[in-house]
Amino acid sequence: MKKVLFLAGLLLLLSTERIQAQEDASRYLDPIEKKYSGLKDYIVDVNVHFDIEALKAPDLQAKLYYKAPDKMKVESKRIFFFPQEGGFFNPSLFKKKNFDVRLVERLVYDDRKAVRLKLTPMDTDAFNKGLVLTIDTDRSLIREIKISPSEGREVKATMDYGRFGNFELPARIDLELDIPSDEPSGMKEFTQFGQKAKRISGKVEITYSNYRINVGLSDEIFKETESRKPK
Amino acid sequence: MKLFWFETYKIFSRWRTYISFGFIALIVIMTEVVMKLSANEILYRMMRSFQKDFLIFGNVLNGWFITAFIMNSLHIHIPFFITLVAGDIVSSEATSGTVRLLLIRPPSRSKIITAKYLTTLFYTTGLVIFLGLICIIPGLLLFGNGDLIMNYQTKFRIVLIPEAEVPLRMLLAFTAAVWSMTVVASLAFLFSTLAENSIGPIIGTMAVVIVFLVLGNFPFDFFRLLSPYLFTTYMVFWQRFFDDPIPWREIARSAILLGLHNIGLFLIAFIVFNRKDIKS
Repeated sequence: MKKVLFLAGLLLLLSTERIQAQEDASRYLDPIEKKYSGLKDYIVDVNVHFDIEALKAPDLQAKLYYKAPDKMKVESKRIFFFPQEGGFFNPSLFKKKNFDVRLVERLVYDDRKAVRLKLTPMDTDAFNKGLVLTIDTDRSLIREIKISPSEGREVKATMDYGRFGNFELPARIDLELDIPSDEPSGMKEFTQFGQKAKRISGKVEITYSNYRINVGLSDEIFKETESRKPK
Repeated sequence: MKLFWFETYKIFSRWRTYISFGFIALIVIMTEVVMKLSANEILYRMMRSFQKDFLIFGNVLNGWFITAFIMNSLHIHIPFFITLVAGDIVSSEATSGTVRLLLIRPPSRSKIITAKYLTTLFYTTGLVIFLGLICIIPGLLLFGNGDLIMNYQTKFRIVLIPEAEVPLRMLLAFTAAVWSMTVVASLAFLFSTLAENSIGPIIGTMAVVIVFLVLGNFPFDFFRLLSPYLFTTYMVFWQRFFDDPIPWREIARSAILLGLHNIGLFLIAFIVFNRKDIKS
C-alpha cells in the first residue's frame, strides 16, 4: 500500500512538474505577443533571391502588404514567386493559445541568451504539424523557425532584424528548403524506373526594406489577392 | 536564282503546300482559345509541384508562355507538314512524268537539284516562321506580355526568364527550330530523290523521325547510349535558349551536328540525282 501511495505521489509530482514546464515554456511567447501587439499592419518592399536548382529565377521584387492577424498580399508588376512558409513576418502566428509549447533547450544564440521551443498546433488538421522556434530571450525576437519534419518536409527560416519605427522587424530572412514535390500519390517515393522522388532543395534569401508601419490598410486591399493567385 | 524562284512558284502553286499552313493556323488558334478558357487548369497542372510551397503572382499564362508551350507540343508534328512538300519536290517530277522534260532543258542536273533543295529549305523556314507569327501575335493579343516561365518537367526544373530577354531568346529559339527542321526536310528531300512517288518519302521520313524519337527517349541504358547518334536528339536544341544559363557549347554542338546531317543528306541526294537514269 505504501508502495502504491509512493508511486501515485511520484506520478502526481512528475505530472505537476510537466505542466509547470509547459507553462514555463509558453511564457517565452508572452513578450513577443506583447512586443508586437501594437503592430496592426505594414507595407514593405521585398527582394527575393533564389538559390534553388529546381527554380532558376532572377532576383524578384515586390511590395508586400500585411494586416494582423493573417492577411497578406503581394503586389508585383512581374511574375513573383514567394515561399508559402516562413517567407514573411507574422507575429500573430505564434499565439500561445494555439499551440502546445515545450521547451527543447536553453542556448546561446549570437552571444545572447536564447531558448528553443517546440510548438505543436492544437488544431490537428493544421497544415504545419509543428514548429521549432529559437527565441532570443534578451530582445524577445524569434531568430529561427524550423518547420518540424512532416511528410518529409523541412523548412528553416533564419531572421535578422532591424529597427523600423517602434518595431524590430525582419530586414532579412534566409530560408533553407528541402521539400518533396507534389507528385501524384504513389509517385512520391519512387518514380519510373526506380528514380528517387524529386525534391525542391536550396536557399531563398528575402530582404525587406522601406517598411511603412500602421498605415491603416483596409481589408478591401486584400480581397483581390485570391483572384490574382493562380489556383 | 531563276530556277530557285521557278521551283518556289511551282510548290506554292500547289494546294497541298497550304495544307500545312492551314492546319498549323487551325491547331494554334484552337489551342490558344482552349488555353484562354481553361487557364486555371493549365496553370494548376504546370505549377502543381511548386504551388504547395510557393505563392505565384503575376501573368504566368502570357503570350510568350503560350508560344513556348505550343512549340513544345508541336515540334514532333511539324516534321510531318515539312515532309508533305520536301518529300514530294523531286519525286513528283517522276510521278507526273515531267522529269525527262526537266532534265533535257539547259540547266544542269546539279543546278536543278540545288534549286529544289533551296526551295525545300525556303518552304521549311517559311513554315516555322509562320508557326512563330501565328503563335506570338494572337498569343500576345489574347494573353498579354510578361516574364516567361519554362517548365522542364523531365528535369523537374522551372526557369523564369525576364520579359526583356524573352523576344531575343524567342528569336534565337525559332532560328534554332528552323535549323532543326531543315534536317527533316533534307531527309525527306533525299528520299524524294530516291523514290518515284511522293507517298514513300513522306511515310519513310516520318517513320525515321518517329522511330528515332522513340528510341532516343526510352529510359534504358542501351537506348541512352544510342541517343547521341540519333539526329532527333539534337532537334530540340531550340529549348536550350530558354535555359539559365544558356548552354552555348551544347547549342553550338547540336547546331554543328545538325548542319553536318544537312550537308551529308544533300550530298547524297545530289549524287543520286546526278546519276539518276531517266531513260528506262
